[in-house]
Amino acid sequence: MQYPQPIAKLMDSFMRLPGIGPKTAARLAFHVLDMKEDDVLDFARALVSVKRELTYCSVCHHITDTDPCRICDDSSRDRSMICVVEQSKDVIAMEKMKEYTGLYHVLHGAVSPVDGIGPEDIYLPDLLKRLQDEEVQELIVATDPNIEGEATAMYISRLVKPTGIRVTRLAHGLPVGGDLEYADEVTLSKAIEGRREF
Amino acid sequence: MQIHSLELKDYRNYDSLELTFDHQVNVILGENAQGKTNLMEAIYVLGMARSHRTPRDKELIRWDQPFARIRGGLSNRRGPADMEVVFSRRGKKVKVNAIEKKRLSEFVGTCTIVMFAPEDLTLVKGSPQVRRRFLDMELGQINNVYLYHLSQYYKILKQRNQWLKELRERRRDSDDAMLDVMTGQLVDAGAEVLLRRFQFLDKLAQWAAPIHQDISRGREELEVSYDASAEVDRTMTIDELKHALHEAFAGVREQEMRRGTTQAGPHRDDLSFFVNGRNIQTYGSQGQQRTTALSLKLAEIELIYEKTGEYPILLLDDVLSELDDHRQTHLLNAIKGRVQTFVTTTSVDGLDHELLSEAGTYYVEEGTIRERS
Repeated sequence: MQYPQPIAKLMDSFMRLPGIGPKTAARLAFHVLDMKEDDVLDFARALVSVKRELTYCSVCHHITDTDPCRICDDSSRDRSMICVVEQSKDVIAMEKMKEYTGLYHVLHGAVSPVDGIGPEDIYLPDLLKRLQDEEVQELIVATDPNIEGEATAMYISRLVKPTGIRVTRLAHGLPVGGDLEYADEVTLSKAIEGRREF
Repeated sequence: MQIHSLELKDYRNYDSLELTFDHQVNVILGENAQGKTNLMEAIYVLGMARSHRTPRDKELIRWDQPFARIRGGLSNRRGPADMEVVFSRRGKKVKVNAIEKKRLSEFVGTCTIVMFAPEDLTLVKGSPQVRRRFLDMELGQINNVYLYHLSQYYKILKQRNQWLKELRERRRDSDDAMLDVMTGQLVDAGAEVLLRRFQFLDKLAQWAAPIHQDISRGREELEVSYDASAEVDRTMTIDELKHALHEAFAGVREQEMRRGTTQAGPHRDDLSFFVNGRNIQTYGSQGQQRTTALSLKLAEIELIYEKTGEYPILLLDDVLSELDDHRQTHLLNAIKGRVQTFVTTTSVDGLDHELLSEAGTYYVEEGTIRERS
């Protein structure tokens, strides 16, 4: 069956979102049809405003509605430390912890030649420039613990180490509160590798 | 280990099929192109989560259908286990006792399989790829950690090859740091792969030598050697292996920049087989090559038993008729009373071992199967 044009167009838009196929798109589109007009308008405005009102911080490239972002602008934060992450989502995860008081740098990706991403295609040159201009003593590399994240981390460490800035990597191993017996062999062997003396 | 039941849905040429197996030895009879090998492949997939014939999972789904499903009920030392593999356009899902396993390495190894098919007779003579695949599949199913390092290795290799290609085409600034990082990653994973290959081959050779001697009536001494692209040997520690791999990569650097692909590492290694000191890939008779393939398969069965405390399922696809009476007898005596075995053949003529007379027999015709009572 052919959908009326406006419904078909809305479905196409929904399908551009991650994880949404034709069936979910149809369900969502028909749901919108049943919504109150005010709610639909609010929804549409919310969509436009994330795009219009949010930009990326010119210093750390985290999403923000002010430039520089609230974190970069906060004078109470420790400016000698930068935590390097792949995504803005990672900053939010780190901030939830409320333990880290340093600054951030969002790369927006990791080096992955297969996906056409080299070191210049992410905000890596920016990071190096920041290190020259700012008084940074430690770089905490918190890229994802997969092949691309590891390659990016090692690359950063090779470039930064000679400048005398301390470069550290987040530890990987056992999750807190987990049972040892349920950990898979690979995680366990990583945990053994990264063991610490009491 | 024993498979009691098998259920197929839209798998290859089977729309739906339910079978039960009560016998230790099961003979699958049928004309060519009726679905015998598909059935063997289904059992193989139940253990390995991939086909032995194709790397493209899509081919396993029956024409025009959205998904294919294989279910198998088996029992092992630890009790019964229900295995399930589903292939759809979005990929595959594997379950053990209705619990989905996110990593294939958590699934592979639950049901160990040894397959012996006509292709395996070319193990000695065929391309290096055939021997590497043999090594990777057999080692992978008894060692999850190997499977993990191997898949990491291949992912890094893909990234590194792409990087080299871009360097060659000058689409990237010649950046030694990035290539060094990727070489380091490849070396780390490669050393783990090599270490486990050496351990496995030592064991395999230990088992294969007496079996080979037995089949050849004491006339032949079999040795297996690993031909590496780096200066490595089986006595090395992980750090020594890494060091040797680093040297190998340093040696091919120029060549890699010129060709734009990775020129060293375990993905280029090979196996050689020697009988009485002579390399049988070049100097062996067809008979010696077949005996070697058979000895290795039988050694594998013993090795899996040693490592897991359980015999694997043996799949003999159209291979029994390829072996002469003496080798046939040897094979069937070796499995007797221990290993659940599935045999496909177009005719039982010329196969008159006592084991086959006690076997369950199934007829395959155009995607349907009936059991002879």
